[in-house]
Amino acid sequence: MTATIAIEVTVNGRRRALDVAPHHTLLDVLRDDLDLTGTKECCLVGECGACTVRMNGRIVDSCLVLAGEADGAEVTTVEGLAADDRLSRLQAAFLDKGAVQCGFCIPGQLMAAQDLLGRIPQPTTADIQEGLAGNLCRCGCYEQITEAVHAAAEGPSR
Amino acid sequence: MTGTPAGASPRRVGGYERVTGLQRYVADIHLPGELVARLVTVPCAHARIISIDTSAAEAVLGVRLIVTAADLPQPLARFGPQFADRPVIAEGEVKYHGEPVAALAAETKDAAEEAARLVRIEYEELPAVFTLAGALDPGAPLVQDPSLRPNDRLAGTNVLREHRVGWGDVDVEAETADLVVVNTYTFPMVTHFAIEPHAFMAAPDGDGIAVWSTIQHPNWLQRVLATVLGLPLSKVRVLAPDPGGGFGGKQHTKYEPLVALMALRAGRPVRLVLSLEETFQAARRAAAEIRVRTGVRADGTIAFQDIAADYLIGAYADIADRVAAKGSYPGCGPYRVPSARIVARSILSHTVPSTAFRGFGNPQVNWAVESNLTEAALALGLDPLELRLRNLARKGEAFIPFDTPADGDWEQTVRRAADLIGWGKPVPPGRGRGIAIGIKAGPTTGLSYATVRLLADGSVVVHAGTSDMGQGARTVLAQIASDELGAPLDWVTVVMGDTSVVPYDQQTSASRSTVLMGNAVLSACRDIQSRLGAMAARLHAVDQASIVVEHGVVRLPHRDIPIPEVLKPGLGRLGGELIGIGEMRKEDEPDHPLGGSAAFFEFNCTAIEVEVDEEVGDITVVRHVTVSDVGKALNPLQVRMQDEGAAIMGLGHTLMEHYIYDDAGRVRNLGAIDYRIPTSMDLPLELVSDFVENGDGPGPYGSKGMSEGAVLCVASAVAAAVRDATGVAIRDLPLTPERVWRALQDRPTS
Amino acid sequence: MHPFAYARPTTLAEAVALLELHGPAARLLAGGTDLIIRLRDGTVRPGLVIDVKAIAEIRPAIRVDGDRLAISAGTTMTDLAEDGHVRRWFPALAEAASVVGAVQIRNRATLVGNICNASPAADTAPALLVYGADVAAEGPAGTRRIAIDDFFISSGQTALGRGELVTAIELPLPARRQGAVHLRRTRRRGHDLASVTLCCAIDDAGVTRLAYGSLGPRPVLMTDDSGALADPGTPEDVRTATLERMFADARPSARSMRASPDYRLAMLRVLGRRGLQIALERLAART
Repeated sequence: MTATIAIEVTVNGRRRALDVAPHHTLLDVLRDDLDLTGTKECCLVGECGACTVRMNGRIVDSCLVLAGEADGAEVTTVEGLAADDRLSRLQAAFLDKGAVQCGFCIPGQLMAAQDLLGRIPQPTTADIQEGLAGNLCRCGCYEQITEAVHAAAEGPSR
Repeated sequence: MTGTPAGASPRRVGGYERVTGLQRYVADIHLPGELVARLVTVPCAHARIISIDTSAAEAVLGVRLIVTAADLPQPLARFGPQFADRPVIAEGEVKYHGEPVAALAAETKDAAEEAARLVRIEYEELPAVFTLAGALDPGAPLVQDPSLRPNDRLAGTNVLREHRVGWGDVDVEAETADLVVVNTYTFPMVTHFAIEPHAFMAAPDGDGIAVWSTIQHPNWLQRVLATVLGLPLSKVRVLAPDPGGGFGGKQHTKYEPLVALMALRAGRPVRLVLSLEETFQAARRAAAEIRVRTGVRADGTIAFQDIAADYLIGAYADIADRVAAKGSYPGCGPYRVPSARIVARSILSHTVPSTAFRGFGNPQVNWAVESNLTEAALALGLDPLELRLRNLARKGEAFIPFDTPADGDWEQTVRRAADLIGWGKPVPPGRGRGIAIGIKAGPTTGLSYATVRLLADGSVVVHAGTSDMGQGARTVLAQIASDELGAPLDWVTVVMGDTSVVPYDQQTSASRSTVLMGNAVLSACRDIQSRLGAMAARLHAVDQASIVVEHGVVRLPHRDIPIPEVLKPGLGRLGGELIGIGEMRKEDEPDHPLGGSAAFFEFNCTAIEVEVDEEVGDITVVRHVTVSDVGKALNPLQVRMQDEGAAIMGLGHTLMEHYIYDDAGRVRNLGAIDYRIPTSMDLPLELVSDFVENGDGPGPYGSKGMSEGAVLCVASAVAAAVRDATGVAIRDLPLTPERVWRALQDRPTS
Repeated sequence: MHPFAYARPTTLAEAVALLELHGPAARLLAGGTDLIIRLRDGTVRPGLVIDVKAIAEIRPAIRVDGDRLAISAGTTMTDLAEDGHVRRWFPALAEAASVVGAVQIRNRATLVGNICNASPAADTAPALLVYGADVAAEGPAGTRRIAIDDFFISSGQTALGRGELVTAIELPLPARRQGAVHLRRTRRRGHDLASVTLCCAIDDAGVTRLAYGSLGPRPVLMTDDSGALADPGTPEDVRTATLERMFADARPSARSMRASPDYRLAMLRVLGRRGLQIALERLAART
């Protein structure tokens, strides 16, 4: 059919060279080509945030990024949050505050929360709710997620 | 070495995997040689299939298999938990918008997608019924083939079943009641919208088959598959990884038989992951119209309730009739009601098959009956809380005659909620308050087996067939084993979701698992404790009757020994392990209208304070209080999360969720853009949850099941608050800004 | 998605050439938050998607250029909402940009993409109309500027010709003090597509500019020079009559899922009144 295009994308610090179909998205590439299944597929229209990743310093819905657009980009996924098997402060806070039920939305929530804390190190509850508004949780963990982000924000930053 | 006690809130078992992205949901699992499946549908709610031309689709590179009804073993298998009415794929007729007419499997997603576009289906669109009025019209087309119900007087109608429950004499009471309030309420069609779409995979497995599914009931699915495929149960392996949210929408078989048949035909694994739009077309809650006639006396006591509940179910019964029957049965609420008549009907329509959904038919009736009670109170000039308290059943009272009596000190729960909202304190200007009570019967039958293995080093493996879809069953069951056997929580492994390895569990539904599987696990632990006692008796030459084994300790008459120090010598040179088997059973009662009385009740009181921007119709929930009677919170944090999650879900159908149809019965708002659910910015300004623990439940340590209670009466409490703030009673959900605005516009000016 | 080819030109000339060659068979890609949804649902089926983000002139940039603020075509909603110049001089535009979807969408969606998509409900359109933006376009015949009010033709239709792409939006720096606000109606507090969008600005010469969207095939700008709406002392009936004249052309679609026509029309009036009030307050605060 259509020819593939060659891209180079750095994912979780590792540079990957791939041949991708132009009509595939970054989400497809992560899940299907790189076997990084932590990033989830749900609405595919940029509403639910389950596919949230960090790309070139900002969080995006990876379902709305074409594979070609990721050429030359630096991407971080949930798999890149923990360093050497040690949970990040944020991940630990999610566990401590019980901010996880079924867990399916959690990778996206973590990416959005990490981004928020990078922009606003001491967020208010309103900041958190706004910053994570693009991440739907049907289990309804919003309050616990908010508490977790507060907890991760407190204390000395790493 | 000590265990984690029940009543603690340790980190969720399985939490680590979920925060690292390591958790494998069905869609994350791949098998070598797998084919990707796609479903092919027609854009109609009701249509006759004239022909299907797959030649162009077959020519797509990478396509390996295309099936329609004609290609599958004949007669085409039909299945369903209540009626075997649902064909594995549409046969000659499409009965709802989204019913698959063809399915194909290809080497890649792209090939499958391209081929799906090329399947040519010739069809004739037929008139569809997708409203109650439409379905009940005498001239309406029949959704179900009448020959499926040969001796049923309703077979020539779209009424699937009618259920009647009652006591006393409503008509006599009606003559002497001081006030009768009659209203009709509607509850919308909503969908589960779990963030994980349904996903299925099947692979030939020797002379049998292995099937992965997001299913909540693995053993039930196993039975269905065995029947459809003509295999013994032992050759059907169902693997059920923890679902990413279920809420009832993943309880029953959907496309597993189709995928299984395709896998056997192709000789290779076949995987089908639904899109979010397809999940909206796979599962939903029943919509309902409920007419309530409430009779009260001047002293505020309820004289009678006369309830007619029509549930609009889908084209296939699934478990929807059970929803209507069970959901309406306690419809009068947890009150002393001298006379009652409840008529509930499940009514077929050319729509997505409705299925179980958190609350199981109760939220619909609650919406109507609690709203009507509020109206009655106001008409009497009585405080709506006071009216409820005056009629609330006391613990031990059979508020439904000849059924499980009230099993909690419910007044305590109600007063706690009233306290937390500040009921009786002055309401700030521009605001209103409402209060409502919800009740739901727990499981009426049940059967759970568990095996617990105490390994040589004191670590523990629990095998339990419950599905942990986020409610935290894995953690609670691990806590029970940990507490009983003294193993630290991270020394306990819980194995679930594999019918080849895990013993039988009837199902995960009706908030049953803590009680039923919890008791099975507890029972298995007791079994092990008993064997440990025998070991200790042998080792220490003590009479076993004088030994108590509890919480990880073997207590001899004159000393306490930690379990590992009995286990190691007790197992001896050969080593090994101790295997405990537990069973918890609730037998059916054939004479009971529901087949059994409730194992327990979920009881919740919700109190709401709102502010309404009347110019635009926006409701702001200023304070949302939810209090549940839980017996004992085995994991208080998880209990709180379940209740808050249920509360937020309730706000969804209260304020914003509904399917929107076009005039031909097609769903217009499939997907996330125009079907709105609460985001983090749609929360109440204050959400307060609490629970009452009196240790009076049938589960381990006095626990009751919970997790549905807090969704039951959200709508009725919010609408009561809106009524309080604006003077307007709204009887249709959701209370969108437009609906509220319109109701206020129509408000009689006086 | 239907397959397509993907090009990422590095110069404007390349992009123009590709556009001219392929015409409607090519689609421009900036943020992708509208396009990719349509690619997926099949409502657009281009043979070629042209990603403009590698073109130097398109790269995100907001800069003062003489008496105008120039916003390049690659500038995202997040960039807009955070930019000091935009927040100071065009606060209603910053407000509008800050409610387009959630963070993930705003990090990608571009201002230019929003207007080129030309949905009647485009959140940034009313503010751009009120602030009198110009659209700078590059095409086979060179550069041209199109007044924003001439840019919107109808739902999904703009004044761009074959081979043309927008390179920037230019906003004339305000000559007068003004108070302005962006308002909208949605179905929930969380991010949502609006069923009514409205921007109102009142300047210290008493001119009121009011633009609304999602009540007709394109967003509409109305101006009141009489001073009536800018004067808090204007009698209520005069104010209402003036507003009614401004709203006379509102034609909400009967087919919308998001809100019925009568509700939209009523909300237009409510937002109009509220917008005026807030604009006046903000104008007063700038004294």
